[in-house]
Parts: sequence; C-alpha cells; structure tokens
Amino acid sequence: MKNYYLSENDFSDFVTRMISTKELIAPIAKGPRFVFSKIKSPSEIRLDYDVTILPPKKEFFPPRQNLVKFSSKGYEGCIDPKEKILFGVHPYDVKGIDITDTVFENNKKDMNYLANRRAATIVASNIQKVSSRAFWDTVGADIKAKGHDAFLTKISDGYHFQTLTTKGDALISCGKFTAATEKQSSEAKKVNESVNGTCPEKLKHSSKDIAKKVRDSFSKKEMWDKMAQRCFSCGTCNIVCPTCYCFDVQDKWNVDQTSGVRTRYWDSCLTEEFSKISLGAGHSENFRESRGSRYRHRIMRKAAYLNETLGGPACIGCGRCSSGCTANIADPVEAINTIMEVK
Amino acid sequence: MCDNCGCETTEENIFLPKEAKIIKAVQATADVKLFTLKMADGYIHWDPGQFLEVSLFGYGEIPIGFASSPTRPESFDIAIRTVGRVSGAINKLVAGDSMFLRAPLGTGFPINLLRGQDVIIVAGGIGLCPTRSLIQYIMDRRDEFKKFTLIYGAKNPSQQMFKDELATWKKSSDIDFYDIVDKADENWKGEVGLITSLFAKTNLNPETRAVICGPPIMFKFVVMELNKRGIKNENIFLDLERRMKCGVGKCGHCQINDQYVCVDGPVFPLSKAKQLEEAL
Ligand SMILES: Cc1cc2nc3c(=O)[nH]c(=O)nc-3n(C[C@H](O)[C@H](O)[C@H](O)COP(=O)(O)OP(=O)(O)OC[C@H]3O[C@@H](n4cnc5c(N)ncnc54)[C@H](O)[C@@H]3O)c2cc1C
Ligand code: SF4
Ligand code: SF4
Ligand code: FES
Repeated sequence: MKNYYLSENDFSDFVTRMISTKELIAPIAKGPRFVFSKIKSPSEIRLDYDVTILPPKKEFFPPRQNLVKFSSKGYEGCIDPKEKILFGVHPYDVKGIDITDTVFENNKKDMNYLANRRAATIVASNIQKVSSRAFWDTVGADIKAKGHDAFLTKISDGYHFQTLTTKGDALISCGKFTAATEKQSSEAKKVNESVNGTCPEKLKHSSKDIAKKVRDSFSKKEMWDKMAQRCFSCGTCNIVCPTCYCFDVQDKWNVDQTSGVRTRYWDSCLTEEFSKISLGAGHSENFRESRGSRYRHRIMRKAAYLNETLGGPACIGCGRCSSGCTANIADPVEAINTIMEVK
Repeated sequence: MCDNCGCETTEENIFLPKEAKIIKAVQATADVKLFTLKMADGYIHWDPGQFLEVSLFGYGEIPIGFASSPTRPESFDIAIRTVGRVSGAINKLVAGDSMFLRAPLGTGFPINLLRGQDVIIVAGGIGLCPTRSLIQYIMDRRDEFKKFTLIYGAKNPSQQMFKDELATWKKSSDIDFYDIVDKADENWKGEVGLITSLFAKTNLNPETRAVICGPPIMFKFVVMELNKRGIKNENIFLDLERRMKCGVGKCGHCQINDQYVCVDGPVFPLSKAKQLEEAL
C-alpha cells in the first residue's frame, strides 16, 4: 500500500496517459443521470456523480455475452478479455464487484466472467455526492470494500491516490505523482469517513438479525403477497442491481443459417417465466407462480440466502432498485424494515 | 488438462461442450427417443442420477439425466421426450449424427447409502429414464444390495418405455417389479390406476431406502405411502426437476432456497427437501 498525491492541474494529463495505454471506463453524465462509459477525453469524467444507472458489473458480465461460436467447421469459446481501467468506482460498487467475483469463482470457475475481471484495473473513488435512495452506510456496514487496485480521493488542491496492488502501482507512471504527505493522507481518510451516516435511507438492524428474521418470515404468505401487490414483474430491480447475476442462455443463427452463437443474457427472477418448466403435451409447472413468491425470492437472496457464501448480505445499498421500480416497491430498506416489525 | 495428473483444470471454459456421436437412436415411445452415445474423445465418467446439458448448436441446451449405468461404460444412453424447441430439434437426429454435451453435472443417487439395504425405486412417466441409470447399476451389482423393488407408472400402455427391459425385469427373480397405467387400451392386461395403488402389492421393511422420480404432483402421494410403511424421510430420496440453463450453479434458474438443484441435487433426501420451503 502506497500513498501518492496528484495536483488538480495534473489530473487531466494523468487521464490522457491512461487512455493512451488502455480502454478507460469512467462515470460520465447522460442527461441528468450518470453512466459508466468509455472515455475519450478527460473532461468527460464526472467524479461528482451520485450513482450510475447501471452498475459497473457490465464491464465483466455484459447484458449479452457470447459463450460459444459455431459454424459448419466447428465451434469455439468466446473468452477474449480486453485490458481495461475501470475508473471512479464508488466503494459500494467495489463491494458489488467483490460479490460477483465470489459467485463466478464458486463451484466451477466461470472464466467468461473471470477473464474479463482479471484483465481489469479498478480505481475506486470517494463518494462526492450521495444519491437520493442510498443506504450503503447501514447495509453490511462491517464489510470492507476490497478487490480494487487503487483508491482516488478528492482532497483540497488535488487528489490523494492510494495504490493497493501491482496493477494499481502500474498507473503511477501515467501521472506526475509525488509521495503523499501525512497531512494529505489523513485528509483523504477524513473525506472518506465523512460520508458515513449521510445516506438518506437507513436499515435499523444488523445484517445477522435481518438475515434471521427475513428467513423466519418465509411462510408469511400474506405479508409477501401484500408487498408484491403492485409488482409488474418487469424485472427492472434485477437488471439494475450490482449483485444480481442470473442469466438465460439462447442460441441464435447468423443470417447465413449455418453459423451462429450461444449467448447469455441477463435474466430476472421477478419475471413470470423464470422458474417455469415444460412437462410436455402442453403442460407446465411454475415453481414461483405468484408475484409474492418471486418478490420473496429476491428479498431472500439479497438479505439471507447468500450470506454464508459471501460473509454478508448480497445487497450493497446502492438504491438503484428503489429508484428504478415504477411501482416503488423494490426498495430493500422499506421491505426489510417492514419485515423486521411484523410479529 | 493439467500437466501433473491429467485431471480437468479448473480454468477451462465451463460452457464449452464436447462432441458425442450417436451410435444408435430408437423411438422408445411416440414422443421419446432413446440415444446410445459415445464421446468423440472416448472419455466420460458419471454416477447414476447425474445429468448432462445436451445441446444442438442453433437450438440450445437442455438438462437430461443419464439413462444407463456406469457399470456399462462402453457407451451411454439418454432418453429425450419431445417437449419444445431444443428437445424437438435433438429428437430429429439419427445414428451417425453428433450432439454436444457438458457432463457429468450435479449430485446423483447416494449409492453408498443404498448399498447393503433394501431399495425401492418409484418412477413415474419420463422419470424412468434417469432412474434407469440406478436400476441397471443395482442389477449389475445385485449382490451389493438386498431386496430390490421397482414401481413404474405410465399414462397409458403406448407411453411405456424400454418394453424389452420391462419384460426381463418382470421375469427376473432379482427384482420385484410392478407396473401400472392410468388408462388401459384394448391389449393391456395389467394394472390400471394410480401409481400409489401398487404399494398394496409390495412388502417393504421400514429400513428400506426409497428413490422417487417423476412429475412433481406424484411426490406427495408416494411419500405418504412410504411414510405409512415406516420409511423415514432421511431414507427417501427425491430426484427433482427444475428449470435449468447453466447446470453449474451460476444462472440461478434452478435455485430453491439457498440450494442449486443443478449442483447440490438433482437428488435430495426428503429430510433436507422438507427444510427447503420451495422444494415440494
Ligand atoms: C436434472 C434434470 C434431468 C432431466 N432428465 C430428463 C430426461 O432424462 N429426459 C427428458 O426427456 N427430460 C428430462 N428433463 C426435462 C428436460 O430438461 C426438459 O424437457 C427440456 O428442458 C425441455 O426443453 P425444450 O427446449 O424442448 O422445451 P421448451 O419448453 O422450449 O423449454 C425452454 C427452456 O426452458 C428450460 N426448461 C423447460 N422445461 C424444463 C424442464 N422440465 N426441466 C428443466 N429445464 C426446462 C430449458 O432450459 C429449455 O431449453 C430433465 C430435467 C432436469 C432438470
Ligand atoms: S419490484 Fe418493481 S422493479 Fe421489481 S419487478 Fe416488481 S415492479 Fe418491476
Ligand atoms: S438490491 Fe437494490 S440496493 Fe441492493 S444492491 Fe441491488 S440494486 Fe442496490
Ligand atoms: S441451472 Fe443454472 S444455477 Fe442451476
């Protein structure tokens, strides 16, 4: 771990140098909101963003990803990682990436994800603006963000830059960095600590207590049905979530009708078809037929099912689902605080 | 492959299937086709109750159980019912064609817990295909097991599969075999009714180990019959069917509670399934 300082004036050159070495992905404005996107010039970067529409997981696990290409001559895998720098990732999203890292490593390793992940350098950055539905300071509060290669913090007259890995160290040659003074490092620490407690939404219980109560509430059918009453089964809450990783797999022919691709697409457990099986002769069975049971499955996954595997909840408190849900029912804080109060 | 021991390395592409050649393809019933396969590279190992992701490029991939026993390793069988897009396309294949497989997947029948015990297998409909891997296994290593009972229910006589084998099992003193159909036709001389009515003919000791595979609605009633005979839930094993896409614990489709049916199953002891609220 090394601490550096970069002056405000040298920031632009640093970004330009990074762009010349690798693809640089960073938050940019899109209308009134923000997205992670490929950067062409330093002026596009908006480190004062609150939250991006989609989480950065799309860089490793894109909405559609080819798995196998086939033609009349044979077939082959599509793993083809590109070196990238993912720049300006907020700590809650770093935790989200850490979660997808774990699940794609688990059981059998999925190199379609992991190769992309390993080819990436992640530069985290401090949260300058808190989004309106965020609760990252009360969800899994004891879990530290890890897996990033460097951490950039805006301090007075410039940036504090902490490198954590050799990939992080490699970025130092891109800018006019000097060793950070103790004062600069302690300022950075203060800046990062100062955002804790500022999230507009709050969970009132520990992850452990929540996991237990949520699990114990499984059979409160009426409660779940009521919570999901206005659900459109649109799946938006899954699509915008940094820790959702379910997918569908489909084959598609190319126009020549002899070659094609096997592709995975983000899928959503809130949609009706997700657990449906065909039994032949027009019969089928859906193991989560009601909206309530699908809504429950999502909350269970976020608050309970994966806790043992991950060492904490599978929700990092970004609030993307809360603001993305047209029916305004997806907010985990509202759901969990309600569950905690039901006798 | 790893250089030291020739094992599969963990960094290979888990979605890349291997080619298998169809040596034989026969209609088992009007809508079920039985394929005998051999891997193009010759190598495959599996346990009874494990499954494969079977695919045809351009159509897709589906989970299918091994329908023959690893005690017969020269080739292996799978039986596929025409249901939708993928099964429909695969069932047009003939001997000499190839299909593409990822296997073995999942956790199969707990042979070690069945060995040395009385065993009953209850198979409904297409459920006879995956359980055939265990039936053959027990028949091939008959002295490792005690009393062996098989109950098989089909919709009607024309949907009965593996007719030659059924006839052999009927005659064999190694197996107490009972079959039934929901609806008879003019040539049917056997039992007609629900699969559960066959239990009256059996003589099961309470220590019997039971395996159930069939349509979801069948489980509840069969379990009741087994429990009535004193068979405990931890000695009853269910072969569960869930929507599957990846078969390797990633895509989430098969998840019940915190378990992935494709990795932790498809075979679960009933005692465990009872704790997974959505399993039954
Ligand atoms: C562990 C396991 C073992 C199985 N063994 C056999 C077998 O030995 N023989 C056999 O004929 N069938 C078996 N099935 C059922 C078989 O997988 C389905 O009939 C098949 O997936 C239908 O696919 P389709 O594309 O033809 O149908 P569609 O209706 O077009 O299905 C679309 C997709 O949904 C999924 N899906 C639909 N139905 C099922 C289902 N019942 N189970 C799992 N996924 C489903 C598949 O990914 C499928 O590609 C097994 C299922 C499981 C889970
Ligand atoms: S909870 Fe909201 S976002 Fe999620 S599926 Fe239902 S309506 Fe859509
Ligand atoms: S559940 Fe909602 S708040 Fe939690 S990580 Fe997913 S999108 Fe963010
Ligand atoms: S089939 Fe994908 S997780 Fe089980």
